[in-house]
Parts: sequence; structure tokens; C-alpha cells
Amino acid sequence: MAFKDRVVPTIRIGDALLVPIQIDLDDKTVERLQTQLLEEIQEHRVRAVILDVRMVEVIDSYISYTLSETAAMAHLMGCRTVICGIQPPVALTLAQMGIELQGFLVARDLEHAMGLVY
Amino acid sequence: MDGKLRELLDISENDFDVVVRITREEDIAIARQMAKQLAQELGFSLADVTKVATAVSELARNIYRYAQTGKIMIRKRLEESGGPTIQVVAADRGPGIESVDRVLARGYTTHERSLGIGLPGVRRLMDFCEIASKVGTGTVVRVEKRRRKF
Amino acid sequence: MDNNQVEMLVEELEVGNKHEEKLWRKLLLGVASGATGNDLRETIREPLFGLLHELGETALGAKLKLVIERTPTFPTAELLPLILELCGELRHDSEQAVRGLERMLSELATPIVRIWAEVLLVPLIGGLDSDRAQGMAERLLERVSTTRAKVVVVDVTGVPTIDTAAGGFLIETFSAVKLLGAEVILTGLKPEIAHTLVKLGIDFRMVAIARDLEDALRQAIAMIEEERSRQRKTAWVRGSNFPSEGGEHDGI
Repeated sequence: MAFKDRVVPTIRIGDALLVPIQIDLDDKTVERLQTQLLEEIQEHRVRAVILDVRMVEVIDSYISYTLSETAAMAHLMGCRTVICGIQPPVALTLAQMGIELQGFLVARDLEHAMGLVY
Repeated sequence: MDGKLRELLDISENDFDVVVRITREEDIAIARQMAKQLAQELGFSLADVTKVATAVSELARNIYRYAQTGKIMIRKRLEESGGPTIQVVAADRGPGIESVDRVLARGYTTHERSLGIGLPGVRRLMDFCEIASKVGTGTVVRVEKRRRKF
Repeated sequence: MDNNQVEMLVEELEVGNKHEEKLWRKLLLGVASGATGNDLRETIREPLFGLLHELGETALGAKLKLVIERTPTFPTAELLPLILELCGELRHDSEQAVRGLERMLSELATPIVRIWAEVLLVPLIGGLDSDRAQGMAERLLERVSTTRAKVVVVDVTGVPTIDTAAGGFLIETFSAVKLLGAEVILTGLKPEIAHTLVKLGIDFRMVAIARDLEDALRQAIAMIEEERSRQRKTAWVRGSNFPSEGGEHDGI
């Protein structure tokens, strides 16, 4: 995948793909992130994708919809998805809206996430 | 209902601290940012700032998605009886909503990329939520959140 | 009114102490100076505020009545709005104090205790209204995040009943804790509370239930052990060159 098409840089650790999201997500970005991740899963044949959302300040219904959709697609490609580093205010907002991040394993931090992957 | 909608559609922009016109997808993020700033200025907790920003994000997206254009108006109210309050009005002259009760029920949507949790979610995040809409005229959503005592 | 009259009045007021006497003298001299309008208000504001604090509304009222009776030229019209303004300030101050106490009470009523490495205990006590429940949720989530707790034990033994709104907030708090990647164990349930939570449709995959605190702690430790053994396995699978890195490796 061309470098300029990437929304976020990714890191490969073993057969997992680490995706630290360091930008605030808006509708366009999260759609492009979906495309990027699916291409990288196919290209590198990773077993798991770990999304680190420590820097993300708002996750609304559309962003969570698109993320869950990505998780489902990844699942169909034989890849697990883990989300980690959800900030307390974001967690409270998602919980109050009744949004479940379907398809994701939830981890506290990277160490926990790596434990869930294997 | 009709009178209420007219009244809300004609509400003066001058009464608000911030008016964000929604015409492009990027405007959703701008509206969200402005809401966050005003809630911070009112001394809301970090969680409540995020809740207000998320609610505005949902309202702005609904405008962009269903009416294409519209506006988000936000104001701070210090003198409300329940304490400092943030008020948001989302107004558009789009297609309108056929049944307000139905859009407030979880899981109803006419859009393919949605689970129908936007508006019901907004209602749960805020302390007050009122919707006036008429097919062919437009939709106005008015929401409020007050600063918690502790 | 001249200085002599002021002294006579102060005498007649039967003041309790030197401080009060000083305040009365300052107030009466301010009036005697013949200042009007804003100047007058500025001069007598401070002694009046002091007297209000010292004597309270009733005693001050009685003494002012005496002063006004003795002094035909007393500027009563100027005094009235000033007194109302000062009373407003006092009320505002006490409201602030009450708010501070309310916040303190709510924090004292829901302590968050670390009872084991990576295990937090939240003993809920008393009634839960929505403000208190949300404040508690925010503090709990911050603590879980900063301490990287793995398990949160919520003990509701001290909660008599909960209404559906508070029950809803409780369930939301559980799912928020789960979104941080920690587990929730609920204990101390009474029939009334169990009834409310079931009616609200609590998801039992989301929380583990414990009979009592002892059982809760045992389950929490088991959860932590399970995760640790999984991590050891991970280190093994990855073929770590530093077997000592992960801590105890006795099981391998």
C-alpha cells in the first residue's frame, strides 16, 4: 500500500499488527482507516490487529459502527481485533449511549492486548 | 407541533455564542470541537465534556446525512435554575422526520451505515431533549445538559 | 449628628466587645460624615458586613432600629438596599459551602479501596441518585485507568434500594469498566436490588456475581492468576530469550 494512502502508521510485532491511532477520528479518516487496515491484513497475513485508541477523544455512533464493521471484516479474513487504551470519558460516553464495540476484544494496554492475541 | 417547529426554525442566531453551518463532512468535526470548548468553559467534568461533544457530533452528522445543510447553534447559560447549562439547537430545512417516536427508539434507521443509536444516544447523554419536525419543512432538535453538582 | 452623639449612641447600644464597638463607631462616624450616595455606601459597607457577621440578622436589626429612632437624619433609604445586598452575599457564601460539603460527602460515601494487587473495591453506601452515581462512575474509571486495575469489586451491601434510573447508571458503569479492559465482580445483592437489575436487563456475561466479599476476592485473584498464566504462555510461544523477564516462571 502506498505510503501516502496510509491514515496512520502501523507496526508489525510477530504476526500482529499494531495500530496506534494518534489523530482525532472523523468520518472520512475512519473510513480510510478501514480500507488501510483491510489491505494491510491481506498483504501481511497477520493473525491479529491491535487498535490503540489512547489519543482518541471522541468515539460516536458512526465511528464505532465503522470500527465494528472493520472488526467483522477482519474476522472473515481470519484475523482477530483487539482495542486497547479507551479513555475513561470515552468509555462512559459509549456505555451511556448503549454502544457495544462488537467484534472487539477489549484490553487495558498493549501488554494485555498481546496476551489476548495469542 | 407546527407552531413549535416554526418558532424553533426562526430562532435568532444572535442569541447564541457559536453558530456552525453544516455543509461539508468536515463541519461535523468543527461543531464537535466548538461544543467541547464551550462545555470546558462552563467547567463541565471531562466525561461530561466528552458526552456533549459526542452528542453534537451525532446531531451534526444527522444534518449532513439527511438534510445536507443546516446549522448547529450552541450557547452557555449561567443563570438557569439547575446551575450552569449548555444548550444546543440543531436546525435544518431538510426532508423532516415522519415519526419522532420511531427515531427515538433504538435500532430504527433509514440509513444503511447506521445502527439507529444516534438520536436515542443523544437523548441519554443529555438532560433534556426535544424534537420538532414536519415532513417537507425541516427538523429542529434542542438539547441541554447542566453542570453536575459533583 | 456630631461625634458626641456618636459616642452616646455607642454607649446606649450596649455593645458586647471592643471589636463590635469599633464597628459601630466606624458605621456611625461614616453616617455622621454627611457623605451620600456611593461614597456613603462604600464607607459603611465594611462595618455593616462585620456587624452582620458578629450579631446576626435579628440582633443587628434590633440595634439598627434603636439607632434610627435616636437619629432623625439617619439615611435609612441608603441603608436598605445595602443590607439586602450583603444578605445576598452571605447566602451565596453559605450556598458555596454547602456545595463543597455535598461534594465531600459524596466522595466520602464512595471510597475506592485497593484491596489486592490490581483489585479495587467499591463499597457503595446509602441511596444512589443520578448525580452521585455519575460522579462515582467518573472517579472509579479514572482510578481503574491510572492504577491499571484488572478487577473491580462492587459491593452493594450498604445500598438499601435502587430505582431504575440509578440501576441503569450502575449497569452503564459496569460496561464502561469493561471497555477499559477490566473485569467487574458484583456482590452484596439484596432481593430488591437483584429485582431492579434483572428488570433492567443486566447482562450476566458482563459481570461476575459473588456470594460475599470473601468469594469476590477469591474470584478476583483467580482472574488475575488466569491472565498471568496466559501471559507466561505468550512469552513461551514467542520464544523469549529472557525467561526471567516475565516474573515467576514456576509453572513452565
